[in-house]
Amino acid sequence: MADALTTIRDIDRELARLRDASGEPGAHPKLRTSVLTHMAWVPERWVEAATETLAGLAERHPSRTILLFPRPEDREDSLEAEVDLRCFLRGGIEREVCSEVISIRLRGRRAAAPASVVEPLLVPDLPVFLRWRGECPWGSPELEELVDVTDRLIVDSSEWPNPEQGYDRLAQLLGRAVVSDIAWARTEPWRRAVATLWPEIAEASSMRVAGPRVEALLLARWLGVRLGRELELEHEPAGEIELVDVDGHEATPARFDRPTASDLLSGQLEIFARDRIYEEAVRSFSSVAI
Amino acid sequence: MTQAPAATQENPLLAGLRKRRQAEPCALTIFGASGDLTQRKLFPALYALAFRNLLPANFGVVGVARTAMSDDDFREKMRQAVAEHGRDEFRQDVWDELAEGIRYVSTDFADEGGEQHVVECLNSLDGERGTGGNRVYYLAVPPSAIEAIVVAMGQRRATGGWTRVIVEKPFGHDLESARHLNEVIRTYFDESEIFRIDHYLGKETVQNMLVLRFANGIFEPIWNRQFIDHVQITVAESLGIEGRAAFYEQAGAIRDIVQNHLLQLVALTAMEPPIDFSADSVRNEKVKVLKAMHTPGPKHVIRGQYGPGYIEGEEVPGYREEEGVAPDSMTETYVAAKLFVDNWRWADTPFYIRTGKRMPRRETTIAIEFKRAPHPPFELDSEDGLRPNVLLVHIQPDEGVSLAVGAKVPGQGMTIRTVHMDFLYGGTFRTGLPEAYERLILDCLLGDATLFTRADEVEEQWAIVDAMVAPWKRDRPSFPNYAAGSWGPAAAAELLARDGRAWRMH
Repeated sequence: MADALTTIRDIDRELARLRDASGEPGAHPKLRTSVLTHMAWVPERWVEAATETLAGLAERHPSRTILLFPRPEDREDSLEAEVDLRCFLRGGIEREVCSEVISIRLRGRRAAAPASVVEPLLVPDLPVFLRWRGECPWGSPELEELVDVTDRLIVDSSEWPNPEQGYDRLAQLLGRAVVSDIAWARTEPWRRAVATLWPEIAEASSMRVAGPRVEALLLARWLGVRLGRELELEHEPAGEIELVDVDGHEATPARFDRPTASDLLSGQLEIFARDRIYEEAVRSFSSVAI
Repeated sequence: MTQAPAATQENPLLAGLRKRRQAEPCALTIFGASGDLTQRKLFPALYALAFRNLLPANFGVVGVARTAMSDDDFREKMRQAVAEHGRDEFRQDVWDELAEGIRYVSTDFADEGGEQHVVECLNSLDGERGTGGNRVYYLAVPPSAIEAIVVAMGQRRATGGWTRVIVEKPFGHDLESARHLNEVIRTYFDESEIFRIDHYLGKETVQNMLVLRFANGIFEPIWNRQFIDHVQITVAESLGIEGRAAFYEQAGAIRDIVQNHLLQLVALTAMEPPIDFSADSVRNEKVKVLKAMHTPGPKHVIRGQYGPGYIEGEEVPGYREEEGVAPDSMTETYVAAKLFVDNWRWADTPFYIRTGKRMPRRETTIAIEFKRAPHPPFELDSEDGLRPNVLLVHIQPDEGVSLAVGAKVPGQGMTIRTVHMDFLYGGTFRTGLPEAYERLILDCLLGDATLFTRADEVEEQWAIVDAMVAPWKRDRPSFPNYAAGSWGPAAAAELLARDGRAWRMH
């Protein structure tokens, strides 16, 4: 393996070298195409899941991907980076198209000041998405810094150990960050199905959900906020949503294929606007008046 | 204050859910169901829509043709067509759901009451599939068969629900026949119910032309005679007539490509910004361009016919040697023309168009060539050093847009090279581009006619084509006049050379 790159200049040089070397000898370099910068904050325990999700994503969203692996417990303060070009042939075009993946280990105190590392690497004029793996360290400098250079923060609240508390803290961030929640995205076919029960459920008072707890919570809060009523949630644990019933009316979603983790993240990378409906549901968990 | 009952309130649960383009329940009847178009394009498109859950839940397809076949035979034939020509993986569950609503009617509209079988099938489909009397009639039949079907089905309109008619090209063979066809169809169907297909309009890149022009602030200010030297539009095919001699001998390149695709591309390139993207707003602007186009004189229209030659190293016969073609055929396989749009924006700016079969490669492009920089302050190494900027819209293949700009070659001195800044759809967006027919069929199911051609548009197109071909009756060019695998007759090159210009070669 090549020596790790330890400065931004090293990373830039390596990117340029890889681009030049990407074509056949004497031929044009392969195309670099970007529609966004995709950052991911990946603590140690999420590395495998993040790598899996990333596979296949580059092809759908040609981008510069910056993977940040924080190692705050390391004694040495340093950054170590690797750069990779992921090239693929696309139907209909003759040349290969490449996305750039920059993996950076932030060791020691470097993990607390990540914005200064990523800012020089952001592709200018394109949106920046930040996927935060696991629970966000609410109020920490690394989260605050990265949110400030990001157009959209993507979380998956099903990765949080205590979601209610997490939503409470997330609600405080909504004023300055646009947020996507992959757990919320998973409920979309079911929200659509529940919507078809209108107006029979206008006066609903209870909801029964068989599925993951986080998704049940989000569905119940969403419906409660939309109807302007308190709903009693009856929850049966299951690996994925199997049943949603509102006051005895069962919601039946249209045929849909269960999306993969990559599909779900990919879907969020296509959204730019605030999701006010999600924000209202999240704020309903908040103990603080926003 | 009393609150409105829930039933009369807007559904608050739909807020924030992305709007889906979901059509109402309906039955699609394909006339000409045993034909090539149905197998290669229509059913693969329907499957692609089903694959993406874009068809309504209550949906049925009735195939109609003279060939005797059972429902099951027809389903099996279409299943094979989808497996062979579909752009998605073949999934049995998706197919089964679609196939459940497929029926086949073998009938001949030339026979008395032949249409009764179709009507009965549709009525029973309403009961079985809940299609609600909503009908789409897809006329994938030769022009000669259209009238009988329109009259028969028009006289037996369903009493409930809506009806739409999709008419495949060619829509007539000249202005008079197009007018007649319009009259016949409008006797039974309102203009808002008629969807004349030009599948080029369903192509993503063609629609992107509108986005490029009207969603970006930088192009419109220079999209006029002040800054644009000329426009070149090329629709080149490397294929020959592929066994379609009977059709092609009648149509030729001018009716096959110029009358519809090429004139549509000119209209989209030259049109003024519509006030919105509604069907009538867009079509109004296109019609204005067609009306403003003045008839090209005989010297401005070149026709050609290919002789033997080579395509990709393989020897191919000339047009007159193709099966089913008369040995003295005077049908043109190539047309080039210089057109002018006489309005404030485009006066004196030529639009050079060309189309041909057996060209060196398949290519559909719109090239906007800008005027040269008026006074470049550089000592150039060669005349070739500073070419004009060209905005190239690739419609097929390699869908995308590229802009040719001059850039300094690194090093001593001031050597300038033209470089291309490319935006390629395939390299930028994740999804494979939908086939034009997917978009157009779905638009029709949704009742959106923006990407279909209106009666007056078709008639304007025919008026231009009729004027172009009128002088052809008087002369008899020496055919063949270009070799297969070349870029057309010498006269086409001269057409531009007279203006000090040349066709783009690559």
